[in-house]
Parts: sequence; C-alpha cells; structure tokens
Amino acid sequence: MLESLQYIYAPQIVNGLSIGVAVVLMALGLTIIFGLLDVINMSHGEFYAAGAFFSVSLMAMGVSFWLCLLLVPLLLVPIGFAMERLLIQKVFHYKDRHILTLLLTFGVAMVLEDGYKIIWGANPIKPSAPISGASELLGVMFPNYRLFLMVFGALIIFAVWVLIYKTQLGAIVRASAYDKDMSSSLGIPVMRVYALTFAFGVALAGLAGVLLAPIYSVFPTMGRDFILMAFSVVIVGGLGSIKGAVVAGILLTQLQSISSLYISPVWSDPLVFTVMVLVLMFKPTGLYGGMKNA
Amino acid sequence: MLNPQVRAIRLIEILLLTSALVLFIVGSILQDTFFLRLATESLIFGGLAMSVDLLLGIVGLLSLGQALYFGFGAYLSALVLKEISPSFFLAIGIVTLSATVLGWIASFVALRSKGVYFALITFGLAQVAAKVVYNTRSLGASDGMMGVPILQIWTPFGAIDTSQPGSFFLITLLTIGGLYAVLKYFLTTPMGSIWHAIRSNEDRLAYVGYKSKGPKQVAFILAAVVAAVSGALYPMLRGFVSPELMFFSVSGNAVVTVVLGGVGTLIGPILGSVLLTAFKSIIGTWTVHHHIVIGIIFVVIVVSAPKGISGLLAKYLSKKHSHKGEE
Repeated sequence: MLESLQYIYAPQIVNGLSIGVAVVLMALGLTIIFGLLDVINMSHGEFYAAGAFFSVSLMAMGVSFWLCLLLVPLLLVPIGFAMERLLIQKVFHYKDRHILTLLLTFGVAMVLEDGYKIIWGANPIKPSAPISGASELLGVMFPNYRLFLMVFGALIIFAVWVLIYKTQLGAIVRASAYDKDMSSSLGIPVMRVYALTFAFGVALAGLAGVLLAPIYSVFPTMGRDFILMAFSVVIVGGLGSIKGAVVAGILLTQLQSISSLYISPVWSDPLVFTVMVLVLMFKPTGLYGGMKNA
Repeated sequence: MLNPQVRAIRLIEILLLTSALVLFIVGSILQDTFFLRLATESLIFGGLAMSVDLLLGIVGLLSLGQALYFGFGAYLSALVLKEISPSFFLAIGIVTLSATVLGWIASFVALRSKGVYFALITFGLAQVAAKVVYNTRSLGASDGMMGVPILQIWTPFGAIDTSQPGSFFLITLLTIGGLYAVLKYFLTTPMGSIWHAIRSNEDRLAYVGYKSKGPKQVAFILAAVVAAVSGALYPMLRGFVSPELMFFSVSGNAVVTVVLGGVGTLIGPILGSVLLTAFKSIIGTWTVHHHIVIGIIFVVIVVSAPKGISGLLAKYLSKKHSHKGEE
C-alpha cells in the first residue's frame, strides 16, 4: 500500500503539480482579464505560444533562459496593451460586447497562429531544458527542471496574489472591476487600467509559454490544447476568481494525472471537459464567485 | 418601400440563386467537376453557418460547438449509407429524427446558461464529443470512416447519381434551400417574433407574459437539425468522414462565415460560405497561409462593420434610396 503510494501515485502527483502550476499561470491571466474587462480572451493560447516562440528566438540569439523569463513577459506587455487599446476598446461600448470581444480575440488568434507558421514554420522545435539532471524525492527520481517549475510557478502565483490583494495597484484594479463609473469619478484612469490589466494577463500567458517550452515542443498550434485546459480551470474555479483558478487548476490537473493511472490517457481530457460541463450546468459561477466577490 | 435590410436579403437571395443556376448549366455543359464540387461544399458548410446564425443572429446565443451536430449528421449518414442501405432519403430521415432527439437532450445542458457561459458550454460539449469520436475504434478513431457508397437518388425525373457533380450540386442546393425556407417560415410565426424579443431583452419578455424557455429550446433543436442535415450531405459528396469535422476549427469557421456574411440574415451565412470557399481556393493557389488574411478581414469586420456584407449592402441601398429622395 505504502509502496504503491510512493512509486505509483507520488510521481503522478508531482508531474501533475508541475503541469498544474503552468496551467494556473495561464488560467490566472484569463480569469483576471475576465474579472476586470468581462472579456473572454480566445487568443490567450496564442500568447502562450508567443512566449514559447520568443524564448526560442531569444535563446538562439544567445540570451540565457533566465533572462528570457524576465524579457519575454516584458516584451508581451506592449503587445497586449496595444491590442486592448486598438481593438478591444473599439467594440467595448456595444451592448453585445461579450460576444463581440470573444469574436475579436478569436480573429486575432487566427492571425497569430498563421503568423507563427510563417515566421517559425510548422515543425515542432524542442529547446533543451536549462536545468538538467534529476533529484531524488521521497525515494523517487524527478527531473530537476520540473521541480524548479513547481517552485518558481508557485512563487509567481503567490506574487500575483499579493499584487492583486495586498497592494494599492491591486486595489485600483479591484475597484475598477467592482464599479467602473465610481472608480473613474474617484480619479482612476479606468481605460488605462483595463489596457494594463489585459497586458498583464497576456504577459502571464507568455511566461507560462517560456516555462513549458523545454517540457513540450514549441509549434504554432501549441496554444490550442492548452487553452482548453485553462478554460476548464477558469470555469470550474469561477470566471474572474483568482482563488478559484488556483484551486481548480490543481484539482483538475491532479484529476487528469491520477485518472490516467486507471483509464487510457486519451480519455482523461474528455473527463476534464465533462467536469467543466457539469459545473457549467449546475453551478455556472464556479467554485468561487468572481473578483467582485473576493 | 421595403426596409434596406429586407431588400439586401432579397438581393442576396436572387444573386445566389441566379449564380447557382448559371453554374449548374454552364458546369453541366462544360462537364466541369472542380467548380461544381467546390460550390457543393460551400453550400454544405453554408448550411452549418446558417444554423449558427439562427442561434446567434436571431436568438442571440453564440454557439462555439455547432460542429458537434454537423459531425453527428455526417457520421450517422455515413453509417446509415454503409451499414443499412445506400438511400438518400433514409439517411436524411434518420439524421433529422436523431438530431431532433440529440438537440433536445443537449438543450437541457446548454440552455441552463446564457451569454458567455452558453458559448463555453457548447464549446465544452463539442470538445467532449470530438475527443470521444477521435478515440473510438469502432468509428474509425482518428482515421474516420471511408468507403461511403455512391448513391442513386430517386426523384420524379428519374434516378440521380451522387457521383455526377452537377446533379448532386442540385440536390444540395434543394436541401439547403429547403432548410432556409423552413427557417424563414419559422421567422414569420409568433415564435419567430419571440426569438427576436429574446435577443433584444430576454428579461423583459416575462413582463409581457411570455416564457422564453420553450422558444429557445425549439430554436436550439432546429439549429441542431439544420447543422446535422447539412453534415449528412458531406459523406455523400466526399465519400468519407473524419473526426476533424467535429473539431473546434469547423465551429469557429462557421462563426467567421456568419459574421462575414451578416449576422441575423440567414442568407448572409450562405453568401459568406460561398465567398470564403472561393477565396480560400483562389488564394490557396498562391499560399497556404490563407488564415492570416481571413483573420485580418474578420477582425476588421468585427470592429468596423459588425453586420457584415449584408449590413454593408443594406447601408448602400438605404443611402442610394435617400439620395434619390432628395432629387
């Protein structure tokens, strides 16, 4: 019993956690963007891919992986800012802006995905892991990079939480989400807050891309499969809830990795989606309400 | 004088029908295969787009998973033709009945939510279905099913062979046209008015004494049937089905087609599908990267002309009319 726990479950749980941390980073960006702007960002997966591609190119130019972790998200900030300012705010005043912004970001996703094919080609690129080797944990060997990913990702998630809930900047964002007109009359530049928040969410997706590039290959449609998981996480956790994204992200990736011990891994994806559909049916607001209730 | 929107729809109807007939006659005389088959395919995907438009443009529900019903129709039709009997009417009949049941069941899941949640739940449902089909051996898994037989369709004018591109184009035109006529008829009924009211303001509907649940369910089932019947034609044209038919790219493409052609017009999606298919095949001879161009056009339309080509046409017609009035 103890042995099966150690040699069968523990590796699955740790592997699940290392993917879970990256999924949470993606989901955080999605949920913050929805919580504040009410925008479902269909191009989020493409920004994740952008992060991975940027890191591949930067590393080819001799930039170290560690610098990429900082540079790539910074590069994505102006791109996200411009997209919000030039495109999303154009349709923001329409009555059916939920649907229009969804369509808009979907169109951007199409353009980006094809753009990657033109620039980087359709073939997968596999960057080498910046940390090699493996360490023993509880008597089982784990790749060092995955362990790093877990710790680093957890730190970033914690930093985002501090930023949103414990700083003045975070208070401004939450105030704008709670009551846009009131915040605006108190002197908060709400439109700029919107654009910056969008850029911040996009940068988080890019960071997830840099982190996962050495584990999965980098290819133009890499965002597609991942975005489904991130959407499921955001929905199960509650659109707009940061706590929900973290809890649901860990729960769903654990469900996926532990269930693959019993059923063929190809069936673990439908299982996660089924959970998502069930949550949408019976509790559409998810486990935790939204940023407004937090 | 009719309002410009109605005139634009009428104009597009006439334009599409005329060009379809011209293509049929010229294509038959020249013994063309390529263009007739391309046009058939554009009509089939136009039918799918029309079902998206019924939900989005008329009732105000964005479905991101309409490929589920399209793929269901395609697979079921292929199964019927291969395993039971190679009969057009049997396949269409079974698909219509089954899609009604499937749409009815799915409506209980999907219609519990609205707005973005409806979009995401339809997306999730289609993903589950696509993954299940993709991994099911007996449905051919990732390879799909091949070897759908060529059909003999019995009509009052004699038997028609689906391998003849001209005749099958005509059959498709009649089927999709029939679906269009049915939807148009529904719009003239009181239920059609309720659909429009749901899109304008669902909460207020209750104040004037109407329930929105039933009419929404009918629209959802109708959309499922239209998508499934369009899908049922696919294996007759291509001779195979593959799980890609259920993938998100098919649902997404249908939404792009609707927005391009004009939301809420029902005929706009057909025009959009014809234009997109033509565009892809023309630009496809130069480059494989047609998505980037289509994506840019799509983004521009969403931002600057949310009513699509039909909307632009209606605007042009009303301007021309008011100009005449001044003279």
